[in-house]
Amino acid sequence: MIQVSNLTKRYVGRTAVDQISFEVGQGEVVGFLGPNGAGKTTTIRILTGYLPASSGTASIAGFDVFRDSMEARRRIGYMPENVPLYEDMRVKEYLRFRAQLKGLRGRDVRKNVGEAMDLCGLTEMRSKMIGSLSKGYRQRVGLADALLHKPELLILDEPTNGLDPNQIRRVRELIKQLGLTHTILVSTHILSEVEMTCDRVIILDRGKVRACDTPANLVGRMRTARTISLELQAEAPLAIDKIKTLPGVKKVVKESIDENGWTRLTVRAESGRDVRESIALIAADNAWPLRELHAHKATLEDVFVEITQSEHSS
Amino acid sequence: MSGTLIIVLFAATLALTLWQFFKRGTGPVLFIKELRSFFLSPVAWVVLALVMLLNGFSFTSALTDLRAGDRTVTLAVYTFWSFPFWLAYFFIFPVITMRLFAEEQKLGTIETLLTAPVSTLQVLLSKYLAALTFYLVLWLPSMLNFLLFRINAPDSTAAIGSLQGSYTIIFLLGAFNIAIGCLASALTKNQLVAAMICFTFCLLHFLVGFVLQFVPVPEAFRGFADYISTHLHVRTFVDGLIDTRQIVYYISFAILLLTTTFHVLEFRKWKV
Repeated sequence: MIQVSNLTKRYVGRTAVDQISFEVGQGEVVGFLGPNGAGKTTTIRILTGYLPASSGTASIAGFDVFRDSMEARRRIGYMPENVPLYEDMRVKEYLRFRAQLKGLRGRDVRKNVGEAMDLCGLTEMRSKMIGSLSKGYRQRVGLADALLHKPELLILDEPTNGLDPNQIRRVRELIKQLGLTHTILVSTHILSEVEMTCDRVIILDRGKVRACDTPANLVGRMRTARTISLELQAEAPLAIDKIKTLPGVKKVVKESIDENGWTRLTVRAESGRDVRESIALIAADNAWPLRELHAHKATLEDVFVEITQSEHSS
Repeated sequence: MSGTLIIVLFAATLALTLWQFFKRGTGPVLFIKELRSFFLSPVAWVVLALVMLLNGFSFTSALTDLRAGDRTVTLAVYTFWSFPFWLAYFFIFPVITMRLFAEEQKLGTIETLLTAPVSTLQVLLSKYLAALTFYLVLWLPSMLNFLLFRINAPDSTAAIGSLQGSYTIIFLLGAFNIAIGCLASALTKNQLVAAMICFTFCLLHFLVGFVLQFVPVPEAFRGFADYISTHLHVRTFVDGLIDTRQIVYYISFAILLLTTTFHVLEFRKWKV
């Protein structure tokens, strides 16, 4: 559905997107991640035909976004960042106008506008002025607009930006639901959202694609050390010394001690090694009561931080 | 011979542009939206009311003056060659054009607009034509004055040629100055800046010959300034002399300005 190869966008004195290539297949829901300024919005603007690329090519459903811009645009439902809307139009009026712009005529306009409003929960807001809507409803108007012409591809730039947790959940449900029938490229900061909704993740940093895989594979490939939390009743310095001598342990940090002598420790172990068993044995040998032993799972957040920060520090 | 060629080329370009505009009916959809947003905004009604008020002043003073004795000038001259007309002329263009592109750029809606399957030409022409239509509507009430005059004084001096000339120059000035306004508005996100640019250039163009009387410049340049100065054109047309040189001048400059605006809008598509 989307094919991008060696796409580069240079602004004066700055390369926003640097030789990136990726593909998005029919029916996929792909998360587009990256820190602010990574080049996500620039890439999306190139895909939607708003900006030209400096070099490289991009095509939507086989149509080059620059040469066959009109054909490509007809296939995209695009919701830009911050959802720009005309404040002085009513919701229904605005959606009708957008439907006509996208080439719908007559009965189709009424039908598609009605369906999009139903899907996005806008029906009772249909006669409200857009300027008077809350952020959540504005976001829904933007989404309804993107859906009007039943595009094959939806491109959503930070659809949950600035929403409250309930609204974020609603948008996430909607994306999941839409993912069944559409190809979706969604750019976002909220990683839990990506883990829940996306088939695949593209991580972009400083204009380059740093990772492109399923969330599960990315998490599985994490190179960071495993982190283990434990709580036991022992003298902290002694316990720390003993645990440190275990093979595979890189670092032991004391987190806290309460008045009953329960000590919380955080242990960093080498990757691929589970040191929980040996910790349990040491505790048993020394007759330290042990009431918690927990290995943290790596999350997409860890992957994100590792990919985007290790590069910065190196 | 070359004249015919130019006309044929012009007609062909115009036809091609119109075809592009009407393609898939997108141009008219945009045009109607723009026109609606004029009439849904309070600004439009304020402008309409003020222009009517100013026309009323002209009309009243004309009647008072004409009653006083024999005059060689027509009612059209009183209406369009008067202080109220100039006042209206100076605020109309900035006020109706400043919003056109500046607002879209400020709100960011230019992005949603231009990522829909719509061409820049369609966006530009629809905004321009909507502003021009609104501008022409502004002058409709002034026709009532002439009608009233005609009814009450059937054998009066409301010469028809003078009226034709007046409305022709009104249209030409609109076509030209709204193009200036479009360009000013496309250049900035800030409506006030757009209004000021538009105001300055409209004023300058109107008074260039007049202003240069007080500035030491070569005589040839003064002649040129008089030649392009709007206030002299208005006088010629209002007297009933329809001068084709001015028609060509205003229309071709409007096209030049619109072409420039088109390229300003397309600027973001230039490859770096």
